[in-house]
Parts: sequence; C-alpha cells; structure tokens
Amino acid sequence: MNTVVIPVATQMLFHNHLRFAMTVIGIAIAFFLAAAQIGLLVGWINTNSAIIRHAGVDIWVMAEETRAFDYGTAIPRHRVQQVSSVPGVVWAEGMLMGWATWQHPAGKRINVEIVGLDSSHAGGPWQLISGHIDNIEQPETVIIDELSYDVLGLRELGDEAEIEGNRVILGGVSRGVRTFTAAPFVFTSIENALKYSPYYKDEEIAFVLAKVEPGVDPGVIRDRIAREVANVEVLTTAEFAERSVKYWMLETGVGITVIITAALGLLVGAVIMSQTLFAITQDHLGNYATLLALGFHQKTLRRIVLTQSLSLGGLGIITGSILFILACNASASTPIPLETTPLVSTGLVVFSLLCCIAASWFSIRAIFKLDPVMVFHG
Amino acid sequence: MKSIMTCKGIAKSYGTGDIVELVLKRVDLEFFEGQASVLVGPSGSGKTTLLSILGCLLAPSEGQLLIADDTVNFSDKSSLTEVRRQKLGFIFQHAQLLPFLTIEENLAIVGRNAGMQDDDIKQRLDGLLHRLELKAMRYKHPAQLSGGQRQRVAIARALLHRPSIVLADEPTAALDWNTGKTVVELLLEQARMEKAVLVVVTHDTRMLPLFDRILSIADGILSEQAQTAAAENIFYTQP
Repeated sequence: MNTVVIPVATQMLFHNHLRFAMTVIGIAIAFFLAAAQIGLLVGWINTNSAIIRHAGVDIWVMAEETRAFDYGTAIPRHRVQQVSSVPGVVWAEGMLMGWATWQHPAGKRINVEIVGLDSSHAGGPWQLISGHIDNIEQPETVIIDELSYDVLGLRELGDEAEIEGNRVILGGVSRGVRTFTAAPFVFTSIENALKYSPYYKDEEIAFVLAKVEPGVDPGVIRDRIAREVANVEVLTTAEFAERSVKYWMLETGVGITVIITAALGLLVGAVIMSQTLFAITQDHLGNYATLLALGFHQKTLRRIVLTQSLSLGGLGIITGSILFILACNASASTPIPLETTPLVSTGLVVFSLLCCIAASWFSIRAIFKLDPVMVFHG
Repeated sequence: MKSIMTCKGIAKSYGTGDIVELVLKRVDLEFFEGQASVLVGPSGSGKTTLLSILGCLLAPSEGQLLIADDTVNFSDKSSLTEVRRQKLGFIFQHAQLLPFLTIEENLAIVGRNAGMQDDDIKQRLDGLLHRLELKAMRYKHPAQLSGGQRQRVAIARALLHRPSIVLADEPTAALDWNTGKTVVELLLEQARMEKAVLVVVTHDTRMLPLFDRILSIADGILSEQAQTAAAENIFYTQP
C-alpha cells in the first residue's frame, strides 16, 4: 500500500515547490514559537529550583508555609543542631536567604537576594570562574554570578560596592547561577549575610539543609525531623523544588501565561497546516476522484492526506527544532535561557504531530464527500 | 463467445415524488469477451449515465449488473471499489493523468493498487509503452506530452492491470480527427489483443465503422444498430 501512498502523497506535495516550502516554513516557525515558550518555561523552572537542586542535600527544613526558596523566613539557628541530632541525619547546616538593597558603584540601587552559607557552603554556587568559595568567610566578601556583572557594577576581584550601607568586596564569580526574580543572588557567609539582611536577627537563619545516611529514604527522615523539631516545615529536596516551581509557575500566573502562549503557537501551526492541506486537497479533488474511479479505496486516499500532513508536520518540526536548538545555544549564557528535557521535547513533538493529524480532518472530510462519477463530467 | 458483462433491466431516474426524470429506461444488454462496442447518442440521452453504471460508479434505480456472472452490489462501496480495481479500466475525456507523477509512475500506481508484483508491473509497463510508442515519454510528466500522447498513456493505464472490461468516455473529444482516429485504432487493437470488453462513448460518428457493435441511445432508450447500415448511414462525415 505504501508503494502507492508515499509516491502519490509526496509528489503531490512537491509539485508546487513554493507552496510546499512556505508551508514547511510556517509550521517550523509555529513549532519554534511553541518550543521557545515551553523552553522558556523549562528554563525558568530550572532557574527557579537551581539552588535547591544543586545544594547536594536531601532535606530542607524551613519556617511553616514557606512558599518558595526566595521567600525563606527566619527560624532559630539552633534548629541546625536539633536536625543534626535526628537519627539518620549525617550532617546539617544552616542557610540564610534574605532580600537587601545593593548600592551600585554608579549610584543606582538594586534589590538582591543574599544567600548566607554555613561552614560547608551547602547551597552555594556550583561553578566558580574566579576566586574561591572559602573567600566568603572573609568579612564583607561576597560571590556574584558573571550574569550580574553589569547589574551589580562589579567585575574584578576586590571591586567594592555597598549593601544596606555596608561595604562588600567581590571575592569570587560564579557561572550559571541565574535568578528567577530579577534580583541577583549574592553569596556570602551566614555571619556576613546577617549584617546585610535587615529582616534577620542574630542567630537566625532561613533553612536547615540536611544530608541523610546513604540508602535511607529521605521521606522517612523528613517525617522523623518533622516529629522531633517544632514549628518548622520539613520537605525533601524534590518536594521543595516542586513547591518553589509551582509557586512561581502556577500561583503567580507566569506559567499559565507561558503555557497559553505555547498553545497559541501550536494552534497557529495547526491552522497554517490545515489551510494549506485543505487548499492542496481542493486543488487535487479531480485527481482524487480519478483515483477513486480507478479503484483506489477511500482509505488509501485518506492515507495520502495523512502522509502529506505528517510529511509537512515532520519537516516543519525538524526545521523548527533546529531553530530551537540554535536559540537554546544562543541563550545559554543569558539570564533567560531556553532549555528542555527529553520528556518535554518528546511530548511537544508528539503533540505537534497530533495537531498535524487533526489539521488534516477538513481535507479528509472533503475526500469523504467526493463522488468518483464526477470524472465523467470533466 | 464468453459473456463478461450483462445488464438486466437497468433503469436510472433522478428526483423524487412527482418530479422524477427517467434518464435510462430498462436496458438489457450483454457484452462478450474481446467485443468492442460504441455508444452514441445526442447530449443528455443517457450515455454517460449508462457508462457510469457499467463502471460501477453510479447505482441504477432498477435492474442488475452482472460482471463475470457475479451480481454487482451497488450498496457496498467497498465491493464496488474492488470491482473497479480488479476488473475495470477507464479512459476519460481528458486522460486525467496525475500531473505530478511521471508517465511511468502514473501507470505503476495502478498496477500496485491492483496488487500486481513489481516484476509483473515492469514487464507489463515495458510492453504497453512499446506497443503504444511511448517509451521515450516514460520519465516525462503529463504536461510535457501532446493530447494524443496523453490519451495513449491513458490507454496503457486502462489496460495495465489486465481488466476484463475497458470503458472510455469520449476519448477523442479533445483531439483532432487524425490523432483521435489513431488513438481509437490503438485502443481497439490493444483491447482486442487483451480480449477485453471495450465500451466507448463518442459523439464522433466517423469512428463507428471501427467498432464491432453500435449501441445508440436516445431519450434513455437503448437500441442496437446493424454495423453495416450504421456505417453507411453515418459515415458520411468521413473527410
């Protein structure tokens, strides 16, 4: 059957080179728009939970009802010792997360997120391109990301600025630590952070990060900590990352907006394909009637239309994917990266192909209505 | 002679209630192996309607069509398609080749659709293209061929899968006299060689002497004319 369907379907498409090319380009752009929107969403999700996922711990302990990493609030620092003493916990240390105002050397003021790290620096930057993580133990010394050079006005180690009227010295530069909130992360020690964060008193932190014994289910230890430590909420790393992502994506409406835009992109692609396929089918109704008269089954003709739809869709998706990969590479070192995962990519391709199949419905309906006797009437 | 196709009391009417137009009135007809018939009549007389019924493209209002002793079930579209696929070959007024396929591809897809093996298709295609003097056109597209060449390709397409019946609707209408005559002669020659029943609808009465049998239709009533008398009466238009 394919020896009939494929040559007829493809040659019919290629017969009008210009329309074929324009359709593929249209679908490619629509697919790229959808992929870019979803890539933006994935990039944001990854950015949003990056510090949580890179911290290398299993359990996060925080104030009750903490909505996201960026909204950590004060808990007593001695919670670290309490968590450490829970059976199954190998080690635990604190982390401070607070908002502060950064005074740019040129005079402008910028909101920043101060991340205060404990002695092992859990939750700190995972890649440094200059300086050393131990530098944050020095008074007034911080690490910023290279993406924040211009925003914060520091570039060379030793450069100075101010936070809340206190001097800061650049002690290191990280790579790939993006912020979702537009307020750059500034890493330092808990002791330094307490000076810069007006909302924390001495001996307060925002989170306790705990590592559990190898082979032990973090969920079991989470429940144990929750029973033994009062007035805190305990989440596994996966749960906290999911909560942070859900907060930004769903509760703030950002994610819904992006998903709607992605869906619109796919809809535009489906409409372009549907219109083009229908036009091609209408142009070739006489040929389809001839094929019917010659003894070709309706199902063969439907397969021809579906093959055309999948060919156009497939080529459009391949072209759109190439554009998307180029865009991902180009955006990799920007504050707003386009990213994807194998699951998301597969899902998008499958969904796009389903849109292509749906787009062929009007054409298939036109063929259903076709009466082969029309071949005898010119 | 072996009977290939039989019409038993076939009639066709359009409309319902008081507004019924009877376009074909009780046709009883039998077609034999290798027999070439021509169907003539004025416009609107029912020629195309009868051809459409013979081609299993249109259901009769009354009567039966038998092909190789099997009654055609007009209520089953799938079985109608099967009959057309296996037993019928068509030649249309404007050839109606698929413009986006080469001549070879236009022919090959009919063979593949009929379930022929690739080797058989190739052998058959080579033979037909040779006999119809189309070998040089094999890889060309229909738009690159003249009207006569296109109709020769249509003849090859109609015969490729060895149908027992070939139906042609005004195959020379778009051709000049000489080209048309050549096409009809080729069609007759090839159909006879294949022992296929050939039914040709034409307005061109000059073609009538070429056929074994002349069927005339007027106001939906079919009659058969003696070949000699018809030729004598009608052949006056021969230039």
